[in-house]
Amino acid sequence: MSYAPSPAALEKIEGTIALYPEKPAALLPVLHIIQGESGFISAAAEAWAAAKLGLRPVRVREVLSFYTMFRRAPAGRTTLQVCRNLSCALAGADDILGLIREKLGIGPGETTSDGAVTLVTAECLGHCDHAPCLQVDGVDHGPVTRETVAALIEELKAHV
Amino acid sequence: MSGLKRVGLTIDGLKVQAAEGTSILKAAEQAGVVIPHFCYHPALEIEGNCRMCVVEIEGLPKLEPSCSALVREGLVVRTSTERVREARKDVLAFLLAEHPLDCPICDKAGECRLQDYYDRHGLTASRMVEPRERREKKLAIGRGLILDRERCVLCTRCVRFLRQMPGTGELGVFERGLRSEVGIFEDAPVDNGYSGNLVDICPVGAITAEDFRFKTRAWFLARKPSVCPHCGRGCAVTVESVSGYPLAKGERRVYRITARENPAVNGFWICDLGRDGRRDIDEGRHARLMKAGVPVAGLSWQTALADVAAAIRTVPGPERSAGIAVVLNGRLTCEELALAKRLFVAGLGLSKVYFADRKPGSADGLLLTAERLPNGRGVLEAGFAPRLPALDEIAAADVLLVFGPYLSEHLAEEALAKAWAGIPSKFLFSAHEGPLDRLADIVFPVAVPAEKSGTYINVDGTRQTFAQAVKPAAGVAAESAILAGLANLLALDAGGGDAR
Ligand code: SF4
Ligand code: SF4
Ligand code: FES
Repeated sequence: MSYAPSPAALEKIEGTIALYPEKPAALLPVLHIIQGESGFISAAAEAWAAAKLGLRPVRVREVLSFYTMFRRAPAGRTTLQVCRNLSCALAGADDILGLIREKLGIGPGETTSDGAVTLVTAECLGHCDHAPCLQVDGVDHGPVTRETVAALIEELKAHV
Repeated sequence: MSGLKRVGLTIDGLKVQAAEGTSILKAAEQAGVVIPHFCYHPALEIEGNCRMCVVEIEGLPKLEPSCSALVREGLVVRTSTERVREARKDVLAFLLAEHPLDCPICDKAGECRLQDYYDRHGLTASRMVEPRERREKKLAIGRGLILDRERCVLCTRCVRFLRQMPGTGELGVFERGLRSEVGIFEDAPVDNGYSGNLVDICPVGAITAEDFRFKTRAWFLARKPSVCPHCGRGCAVTVESVSGYPLAKGERRVYRITARENPAVNGFWICDLGRDGRRDIDEGRHARLMKAGVPVAGLSWQTALADVAAAIRTVPGPERSAGIAVVLNGRLTCEELALAKRLFVAGLGLSKVYFADRKPGSADGLLLTAERLPNGRGVLEAGFAPRLPALDEIAAADVLLVFGPYLSEHLAEEALAKAWAGIPSKFLFSAHEGPLDRLADIVFPVAVPAEKSGTYINVDGTRQTFAQAVKPAAGVAAESAILAGLANLLALDAGGGDAR
């Protein structure tokens, strides 16, 4: 297992590192660049980033696993993020999650067998005034209802 | 020290003086007020994550963590008001909400902070109705250490220790919130020479050592201070043994060696080599006197010592200097070395007094020194110029007295056997079995340092006097007793009381 970014990504990474007085400070943007290119961050990519920034791989893993927006396994073509923090939970996020599970046959952290959709839960998408809310590939939807979610899923399925 | 300003404050009504920059927790401790804590460790960076140490400070609206709040002139601190006690209860309730009820099978039970604090500060019934989280319970993280994530209270002592002390940083805290867990990166295990300290500093039973797991209970162990004999540092250790009842054969006597605090030598830590020294105390030991390579029952070392004295007497005075050779070692205490000097050099007038010790290893830049003997400075102080004997220097002797099994580390066994074959009388005084055993006329089983009392001087010249930590088996004698006995038999001066 090894990892190397494309020349374009590498150039971006090096440009990013140069913006900071300390290399380790570039960790988050570097991880974003890697994920942007590969769709996820493998253990080999973590080790690569660690070496690049003069960090221990353990430290990269700490940061990477802290944030829910980083993926450590390849995701489906579409990522569905459902918030389950306080406002959304009170507004019925669990019910929405249940519906998605029913329709797609996957739970949080899982990807449909055809590789179309990955479902993850999020702790607050910053959209509490539109609870319950979710994001489809970074685009906010909310407040959602069982009906709008059902329609959304049909659309996602058709999209494939 | 003089540069540090001292400030005065009040802790639980006591007027306390402490150096500027001291934490309230430390100042309280110095005044004899113990504040419960999990994440604080005197040698580690302050993290303030457990909140067990909160105290009330007059004038401040909220409780403050005493491990990170510093002393200030005129502070009035209270460590056990109703509010503080309630806060501690809550901290414990949160920790216990996800803690398994493992105490009956947990190695830490009896010396666990969570257990002790619950008993002193908690005593609340569980309010959890949900099932507890299930987590990894026996994750091998390297060096024989096992991580139990259900027991972990996420104090990060282990993480900070590895980043700070050996500087290897193999552990980290992954995920966050409820899902937080300690772990290694992929398959890069904890791998450094100080890993055993993790077991000492983990405040609960989350990191345990395979070598100790499920072997005994903490409350069966007698803890005695001693000094580690495995290198020139001479770290302060605690030897933890079961000796209260007769042990069945094969049962352990010394269950573990743990670090003992000594700011002048080792701080709070010991290396894994020293920790593994428990084997040196219990394994490969001579339990009985051996004659011509065969253990003999019912023969005491005192009786056998007469043979040694008789052999020495066969060499007439003027020929002794060349005819009797002695090999000593740097594991002997200062007291024993002084005795040896008086007996062999002053008393018998010997010139062939040599030294053989463990071969040097490599120093690790932390505690472990290249020298693998505990009392090299003591040897010099006693007035010896230690030198390994050449094979023919031994071979020329009529009587040979060897202390310790280390000669065979330096000279080839076959060559040694040939040289020894020509020596009329040869005696070995050794704690451990070794290739020399079959070569000696008589092998006397002697005590290991943990079974002795005495003084060692470490590589920095620090003198440490220690008492006996475990009793030797019946029939095993310390070299001090043997040297004194020999002096007695030869009617030589053993130097009064210090022999015993
Ligand atoms: S394993 Fe022990 S020392 Fe490490 S964080 Fe958990 S409780 Fe603290
Ligand atoms: S550093 Fe030396 S004295 Fe200290 S524990 Fe290790 S071997 Fe023993
Ligand atoms: S000991 Fe102060 S917060 Fe943990």
